[in-house]
Amino acid sequence: MEAKTEEKVKQLFPRHTQKIMKGNFAAAEAAKLCKAGFIPAYPITPQTTIVEELSNKVAKGEMDATYVNMDSEHSVFAAAMGASLAGERVFTATSGQGLFYAHEVLHAIAHFRLPVVICNVGRPSIPWNIWSDQTDSISQRDTGWIQFYGESSQEVLDSVIQAYVIAETLNIPVMVVLDAFYQSHTSENIWVPDQDLVNEFLPPRKLTGGEIDGENPKAVGGLVPPEHYETFNYRYWNDINKTEELTIEIGEKFGKHFGRYYKPVEAVNIGPQTKMVLVSISSISTTVRGVIKHHPDVGLLKLRLFKPFPKNSVLEVLKDLPEDAKIVAVERNFLGDKEGAIIGELRRALYGTNYNLFDVYTGLGGKDVPPVTIEKIIYAMQNNPKPVTWIDFE
Amino acid sequence: MQPSLEFLIKEEKVYPGALSCRGCGWALLVRHLASILGENTVYVVPASCFSIIAGPYPLNELQGSIVHTVFAAAPATATGIRAALDRQGKEDVTVAVLAGDGGTFDIGLQSLSGAASRGENILYVANNNGAYMNTGIQTSTATPYGAVTTTNPQNNYKKTWPKDLMGIITAHNIPYAATCSLAFIEDFRRKIKKAKDIKGFRFLMVDGPCPPGHKTEPAQSITISRLAVETKLFPLFETEHQNYKITYKPEKDLPVEECLKYQGRFKHLFKDESRKELKEIQKYVDYNWKRLLSLEARDFDLN
Repeated sequence: MEAKTEEKVKQLFPRHTQKIMKGNFAAAEAAKLCKAGFIPAYPITPQTTIVEELSNKVAKGEMDATYVNMDSEHSVFAAAMGASLAGERVFTATSGQGLFYAHEVLHAIAHFRLPVVICNVGRPSIPWNIWSDQTDSISQRDTGWIQFYGESSQEVLDSVIQAYVIAETLNIPVMVVLDAFYQSHTSENIWVPDQDLVNEFLPPRKLTGGEIDGENPKAVGGLVPPEHYETFNYRYWNDINKTEELTIEIGEKFGKHFGRYYKPVEAVNIGPQTKMVLVSISSISTTVRGVIKHHPDVGLLKLRLFKPFPKNSVLEVLKDLPEDAKIVAVERNFLGDKEGAIIGELRRALYGTNYNLFDVYTGLGGKDVPPVTIEKIIYAMQNNPKPVTWIDFE
Repeated sequence: MQPSLEFLIKEEKVYPGALSCRGCGWALLVRHLASILGENTVYVVPASCFSIIAGPYPLNELQGSIVHTVFAAAPATATGIRAALDRQGKEDVTVAVLAGDGGTFDIGLQSLSGAASRGENILYVANNNGAYMNTGIQTSTATPYGAVTTTNPQNNYKKTWPKDLMGIITAHNIPYAATCSLAFIEDFRRKIKKAKDIKGFRFLMVDGPCPPGHKTEPAQSITISRLAVETKLFPLFETEHQNYKITYKPEKDLPVEECLKYQGRFKHLFKDESRKELKEIQKYVDYNWKRLLSLEARDFDLN
């Protein structure tokens, strides 16, 4: 039952309803609140309940959207591209193989400059696995999509709302990533904002005039000769470079409006006393938060915006960190390389500083990363730090 | 008797200066198509010869909108555009896919089947020139038996039959599908008009002349297209919800050789040691014609 209006004013977050929801349902709820008008869909574990729930909401008339069961993720993203080209606000969700299969179209959506927003529920590829892992989304890092990772399902819901503002400001698509099962199928207390509160924050999509409307003939996507090609890259580059600042601005505005504040990164216990910083994304950050309460000299750097990498925010939160401190990347991704993706991004961002960077592979393919594993990482890095560590093989 | 003027294009909806090869079917195809569909049309084009012919950025030879999309998913892109236009109350805008045989028979088959099965309100036009001509004449599953391509060269000419795409698409129980020839313009225009006025997934397959790919004289494109119909290599028929109607029945029994002999891609079949292959093609064409006649004669009404 929804609380009465006068009661909702006094609660922690006014004009919200607190609900117990699984992460996938929070993602679907976010798409509904954002008034996505077109939802092409294809099932894949562990995303499936997002599109199932959206089809329910459309069938019940709770959502004014066109929902289409497509024949593959490649077609899902091609349909998303078509509807977005024609001016609709589009949402869909996928996971792992689905995202890999859509790879070609991810490039097209980004470089046709379409403000599509999706949720990806992370899982790896081969050997077959459906559990939590960020290899899928991180391997799509260079397709031109902005990527946010949600630590909690509340953050996923809130990030989808912010994602549409960012996508429609920059005309660049956004992927909001959540963890398989630890988030997608786990219930949390979630503050769901009232529709009118979201409406005030996220107006209908502003059209640029470049949309396909069937009335004013236009040509989109023709072969671009070498003398023009760079122009498109240059314009995209100009806009993608605004992402970090815009994320800060929109996060601040979101905070004022909804009461929950977000930044590209979050720092916990990083200061002159810190000897080690664990860098993580998604739900592992929650575990790290708990563990470092017992380690006054260990901090957490949580990355919320991953692509484009928020270099300035990272440098800002590390500004008081002593140069002999260890920075440890916690990687739940395996890109077939010596090191994971996070440390690579950190190296680029921290180039010119003297920090010691270490890499730890953990939790791949959904393996649980309980507090004891984080303790093991801290112990290993304090006593026998190696450039790259597979913590469960130590 | 007043001669029919149905072959005339009354109002051009294509700008002059197409980038096609001489004797290519695409130019004539889109001139007739666009003149009937009108400017309120969104053309969706996967990778194909037409993605070049329509003009590189920022050109557009069509007086209508054009969206160039990924090779495998033109029907899916069209699905999204259609859905968006419908949501905006623009049901009167036609959404038409213009694809080649590679984008239709091979890499795009899945999304074609998906869109046809969903009954998307889309007109799909396939220009079937029987190979990947845009990349330089590589074999597709539409390539005819006996033809040489750059990936089936010399004695390794294609030794399998082309996919029966009309059978496949008709099996989707769509409201309208038809084969068309540029040598039978009145029939072609009638089919475009019919397809335009039907709601749902509609499919037109046009026999596409391709002088560089078929090794033919550009000036003979229409002659050869006519011979393809007269020899029954490319029969003209239409289906409405799986009910077949042959729209042109040749009066004479012209052997397939009469059409194949003009095409350099079949030249090797005319050597003495390969003549048996011509017989095989004739046998297949005869079988296919009988099959079509029996499908047409089928008397059932599912309603």
